[in-house]
Parts: sequence; C-alpha cells; structure tokens
Amino acid sequence: MSDAPLIKVNGLRKSFGKLEVLRGISFEVKRGEVLAIIGPSGSGKSTLLRCLNFLEEYQMGEVEFDGALVGYQRGKAGRMKLDSDRNIGRIRARMGMVFQSFNLFPHKTVLENVMEGPLVVQGVPRAEAEGRARTLLARVGLIDKIGAYPARLSGGQQQRAAIARALAMQPAAMLFDEPTSALDPELVGEVLEVMQSLAAEGMTMVVVTHEMGFARQVADRVMMMDHGEIVELAPPAQIFGAPESPRTAEFLRRVLH
Amino acid sequence: MDYIWQWNQIWDYRQVFVRGAQATLVLTCWALLIGLVLGLVLGLMRSARVAVLRLPAAVYIDIFRATPILVQLVWIYYALPILSGVQMGNVTSAAVGIGLHSAAYFAEIFRAGIASIDKGQSDAAKSLGMGYGQAMRRIILPQAVRRMVPPFINEFATLMKLTTLGSVLAVNELLHEAENLINNTYRPLETYTVVAVLFGVMIYPFIWLSQRLELRWKTRG
Repeated sequence: MSDAPLIKVNGLRKSFGKLEVLRGISFEVKRGEVLAIIGPSGSGKSTLLRCLNFLEEYQMGEVEFDGALVGYQRGKAGRMKLDSDRNIGRIRARMGMVFQSFNLFPHKTVLENVMEGPLVVQGVPRAEAEGRARTLLARVGLIDKIGAYPARLSGGQQQRAAIARALAMQPAAMLFDEPTSALDPELVGEVLEVMQSLAAEGMTMVVVTHEMGFARQVADRVMMMDHGEIVELAPPAQIFGAPESPRTAEFLRRVLH
Repeated sequence: MDYIWQWNQIWDYRQVFVRGAQATLVLTCWALLIGLVLGLVLGLMRSARVAVLRLPAAVYIDIFRATPILVQLVWIYYALPILSGVQMGNVTSAAVGIGLHSAAYFAEIFRAGIASIDKGQSDAAKSLGMGYGQAMRRIILPQAVRRMVPPFINEFATLMKLTTLGSVLAVNELLHEAENLINNTYRPLETYTVVAVLFGVMIYPFIWLSQRLELRWKTRG
C-alpha cells in the first residue's frame, strides 16, 4: 500500500445554473482513512460526495482517485475533455456508494441485488458472484433475507443490503450519502454498526452524516462544510472539543441540543 | 323490435369473416412491429441527454399526434408516391401509416415509463460502474416495462381498431370485407354485429392479460 492519497480533490467548483454549490474545495483522503463530512443542509456536502464518483459533473478543479482523474481526460493544452462512459464506469466501480434512500433494485431479490454488480460490470462467473454475495449478506446479518424483495425489508435491512451490494464490487473506498437519515431512530444503530466494523477493517470511507456520535467516534477526520466551502477540517477531538471556527461551534451547538 | 335476425345467410359467408379477421391480424402485426420498434427508438431519443436526439423525436411525435390518422393514411397512399416516386401497395401503406402513427404514442409510453423510474435507480446502477446501456437494460427498462404494460395494451387495442381505417385504402381487412358482404346480402345489422364481436374476441384477451400482469407485479412489489 502506497502513502499517496487515495482521493485527491483540488479547487473543485460546481454550479447549478447560477447557484454555486461548491466554491473551491480542496482536500485529500488517505488510504484507510475515515472522513466524516458534516454541515447544515444546503452546504454542498452531498453534492461534493457525488462529485467524487462523478454522479455529479463538476465544472472546475479536479477530482483524482488513485492517481486517475475522475470524469475527464486531460487533452491538449490542459483542456479538460469529458471522459468516455466506459472509463467513468471503471472508476465508479472502484468506489462503493450508499445512498440515503437505499436505491435497491426493487425488481431483484436481495441476493440478486448484491450479485448484480460483480455479474454485470466485472463479468464474475455466477457461482463466484453468488458466493461473494452470500458471504457479504451473512456479514451484514441478512442471510435469512436472501430471497426477499426489497419492499419486504425494513429500512435498516434495506440499507444493510445496499452496503453489501456496494461491497460486492470489492471497492477501494466507500462513499456514504447520509446513510441513516431516512431511517427510523431505532434502526439507525444496526446500520452504523456495519459501518463501524468496515472502518475497523481499514476501509477508506467518506461519510456525509448527521450522526455526530459516529463522526466523533469512528472518523479519523471531520470536515465541516458551509455554503459550498470547507469551514474546518480536523480530527474529531478538535472539531467537537475545541473548534477553531465560530461557524463550526455554532453548527454543533444547534445539532447537539 | 320487429327486426327479424337472419343468421343463416351470415353463416354461409363465414369464410369472408375468417379472411377479413386474418387480414386484420396481419395488418395489426405489421403496424405493431413498425410502431413498437420506431416507438422505442423515438422514446429513447426523447429521453436522451443531448438535444440533437431529443428535438427530432419531439417534432415527430407532435406532428403525428396533432394530425388525424385518416389524413395521414390518405397522405401516405396518395401524396407520398407523387413526392417520393415510391408507390407502396394499399396493405403496405396502411401498415406503414398506422405503424408511424402508433409509433408516436408508443414513444410517449416508453418515455413516460422511463421517466417514472426514480433517479436513485440510475444513480445506483451508475455507482456500480454500469454504462448507460447496461443501466437501461438491466435496471431501468425492466422496471419501466411494468408501468408501461397498461398503457401499452391500451395503445395496442387502439391500433387494432385503427386497422379498420385500412378500408379507406381498400385493404380487405375485417371491416372492408364486411362492407363488401353487405352489398351482396343486404344484412348490415347481422354483419356489423359479427364484426364487433370478432374485434371484441381478438382484443379482450390482451386486456385480460394486462390486468393479470398488473395484479401479479403489484403483489410482488
């Protein structure tokens, strides 16, 4: 494992029409690091996360994943040119993503959901894909739900299945977009537990979250965002103990009470 | 009601109805094939990201939905040959005309079906590394098709009924055969009744099937 950062973001800017939602974001994520992104709604956290695997196109700056530019090719004279569908897909396949609304495929069973990526994208033989899926589903505690359709699962079960689906691609990093925000409070714990065990195994994770407990206990560093900018990026001890920025302090005061 | 129904004469001419029904089915099949293939292409174009694909499809759909099919059929049969120099036979003209017309409606069904699928589904497919085609085939279309079935069957029934307009181009489909028969037998009531029943018998199974499918998919979620 090299020491070079796995994810490198430099001067990232993104607008929806006239509204600038990301205004020059730069940071790095090391291999094995867990980065939590917090901040008020509308601060651009989710958009930033979606730029990392190019679900959102960005207009300026660079996102690099494992040394490769995400979404664009460097053309002549430094001009950036949109990359091919295939190349973008290849990079996305190396980053697992977990969504707020789970987004399981409703027409496929839990097992089929988890097998889909390896089978279709990686061309893994069916038996191997199924073995991989069964192992992962056992790990997230869903081995008895293998044949069920997503509509029959609770939110917590769906989200755990979605994590298994992302892990089935054996990604180098996992992106979590408010993974517990759509869950009933009593179901949050089971999802956080799975995420915590992933972190303990050394998975590189970027987690947009409102769960301050998770950010404090599991994250190596916490990024506080507001108005499309990084307000503060520091270890949780500083963010939660002695924030440098008054905006961080103000935000935490509001969410922690 | 003093009318005396006379069915024996109709029975004697049963071959005419069979022939007409066959012609109707053949016309339906060809028109359906054209309508579906072109409709799928147009529907995908309408859903495309780039305007170069989206606009022509939108113009096509608007033109065919904004003009009467009878005018389209007559135009294709009489006007198109003069403009293009290609004279199609009456059956071909009817099949092409009805097909082109239905394509506009099928396209809208495809487009609406695709658009009805939550964006999170394509996000999830993309995040696994799927390309546009893979995501469409494996994730979006299988879900969209289920929502398309009811309007699709509806449009199919409409299409089969539209084939009766082939009579205007002297295509010997069911209605045209029936009209010829009436000229011989002077039994319009019996003849039109049989035509109505035959259409009902040909179309109803599909309506039944669509309801069954809808029910089955609903229970599975």
